[in-house]
Amino acid sequence: MNRRTAALSAALALAVLLCAGFLLWRQSHAQPGTTAQIYQFGELVEEIPLDQVTESYTIPLEGEDGAENVIEVAPGRIRVRRANCPDQVCVRQGWISDSSVPVVCLPHQVVIQITGGEGDVDAAAG
Amino acid sequence: MWTPPPAKGTRRLTRLALLTAIALTIFLVEAQIPVPIPIPGVKLGLANIVTVYAVFVLGCGDALLILVCRVFLGAVFSGQMMTLFYSRGGGLLCWLVMVLLRRVLTRRQIWLCSPIAAIFHNLGQLLVAAVMLGTWVVLAYLPYLVIAGAASGLFTGLCAQFLIHRLDAISRS
Amino acid sequence: MRQHALPAIALAAALLLGGCARTQEPASNQIFAMDTVMTLEIYGDGAQEQLNEAVGTIYRLEDLWDVTSEGSEVWALDHSAGDWVDLSPETADLLAQALELCALTGGALDLTAYPAVRAWGFTTGEYRVPSQEELDALVPLIDYTKLELEDGRARLPEGMELDLGAVAKGYTGAYLAQTLREGGVASALLSLGGNVQTVGAKPDGSPWRVAIQDPDSGQQATLGVVEVADQAVITSGGYQRYFEADGETYWHIMDPDTAAPARSGLRSVTVIGSDGTVCDALSTALFVMGAEEAAAFWQVHPELEVELVLVEEDGTVLITQGLEDSFQLTQEDRTLEVIAP
Repeated sequence: MNRRTAALSAALALAVLLCAGFLLWRQSHAQPGTTAQIYQFGELVEEIPLDQVTESYTIPLEGEDGAENVIEVAPGRIRVRRANCPDQVCVRQGWISDSSVPVVCLPHQVVIQITGGEGDVDAAAG
Repeated sequence: MWTPPPAKGTRRLTRLALLTAIALTIFLVEAQIPVPIPIPGVKLGLANIVTVYAVFVLGCGDALLILVCRVFLGAVFSGQMMTLFYSRGGGLLCWLVMVLLRRVLTRRQIWLCSPIAAIFHNLGQLLVAAVMLGTWVVLAYLPYLVIAGAASGLFTGLCAQFLIHRLDAISRS
Repeated sequence: MRQHALPAIALAAALLLGGCARTQEPASNQIFAMDTVMTLEIYGDGAQEQLNEAVGTIYRLEDLWDVTSEGSEVWALDHSAGDWVDLSPETADLLAQALELCALTGGALDLTAYPAVRAWGFTTGEYRVPSQEELDALVPLIDYTKLELEDGRARLPEGMELDLGAVAKGYTGAYLAQTLREGGVASALLSLGGNVQTVGAKPDGSPWRVAIQDPDSGQQATLGVVEVADQAVITSGGYQRYFEADGETYWHIMDPDTAAPARSGLRSVTVIGSDGTVCDALSTALFVMGAEEAAAFWQVHPELEVELVLVEEDGTVLITQGLEDSFQLTQEDRTLEVIAP
């Protein structure tokens, strides 16, 4: 094994280890968010304060050419319940309830993300 | 080590067409297999065996031609024109990295070249997604895609290396 | 291999250590002082010593200014029967600043309103609604201009009483912040019973996010969030201490002109600025003034460099223009209006 190979494999291993470490760190530091934002074609179409949801309901989101994602909102969490996208990745990702990873439907250009909203303040005045 | 004689005209065209067809077939078959990990952009990417093979055996230009044709036809045949954008962004960045790596690595290090290229493929895809979706939050997937790229790249890289090794053996016999 | 492994390991170590430094936990403490709960968080090297010192400072200042404790300088002033009382440098400094603010606000802030606070029972918790005659008799006793301050001593006419409650926590926050900065602290969060004082920004460089309480929906609801660095965020509101009698609500912020709870149409006033004493004093004074007068005051005093969040009785939220980018309303059913300079 020559030096170049060694250096490149070390860099590769380091990148993988750093990513794995970061994911673990993020998992342990994830804070429950409160506001879900639904984006379609890069525009905010819906904003839902998840801490104020008391009963589950669904939002049908229609895109171009019959594209459809049915989004289910529940107290404190949100998911894509059904979709007619080819890969179904968004459906299989399931519920999200914190800001660490958004739900993305690449074929239909839909993104659901959760932001801290008022959950991540440092102090309260009053 | 055996390298095919520089091909011109019909011979070259036939070889490119054959490899494109193989890559396309692998791509379409793989598309039918659901990915166990529900993260957008994660897949085995078996069609990249052909790309890696082409970069190292045929040369960078020919590899690019095969890649572009396969990506375009793949989008047409699978009926998902949307994937065209993602695959093109990822594929081009991946190809570029492989071209650079080819200068410093030999055929014996394809197993290493492929995962690095795969990581950049995923990075390119993600950047395209960020632009298309109009939000940078998709970058939250980057760590997953780096790990997935390293794993799948290692697999396809080993496949390609094995393939080249076998073809060498055949040509020598 | 070795030649390349070493830098790689060094890089990995640097990244990991860098990561640790960024997520470093603050030295923190929660104490009960000045009739409230205080939470102190100090980041960086030597934070623990700074924290201990800060706690000591708070208790020392509390002992100077506790209006109910016989050993305090404020108690001495209130019970000197018109004689001069020698003051510590901190008390003299606070009194000088506070008197200036009383004058600046035209008496809307008055340090000598203590007799009214006591008449309504806020000092003991035995709440009562005083008769009109009783209040009329109290009004002449409320006049900060009668308080004389010179060369580190002060005197107050007999019968009048002084209380620093409206400025003490703001001053304490500013005092601690100054001490921490001089001690080399770059990042700290001091929450003195709802009076928030920040030193620098968060360790990661982002601004502190301070929630402002919604005066209308219980203790925990947030009206909005403001992002600050190196500033104080101080709220005065009728919802903080109050009692109800005969269907009326009476709160602890007194109008010096009537010796009765100030009814100006405001539910709460939040003042954001770099001087905690000014913020604390103004939050009380502007609450007494009311929305219109408060906005006018802000417009003619840009030199104070403060920003305001006013909540009116009908729920309307007024913010001054400097907050347009840093204030985020979380109760979205409210009307938000911006006061232009």
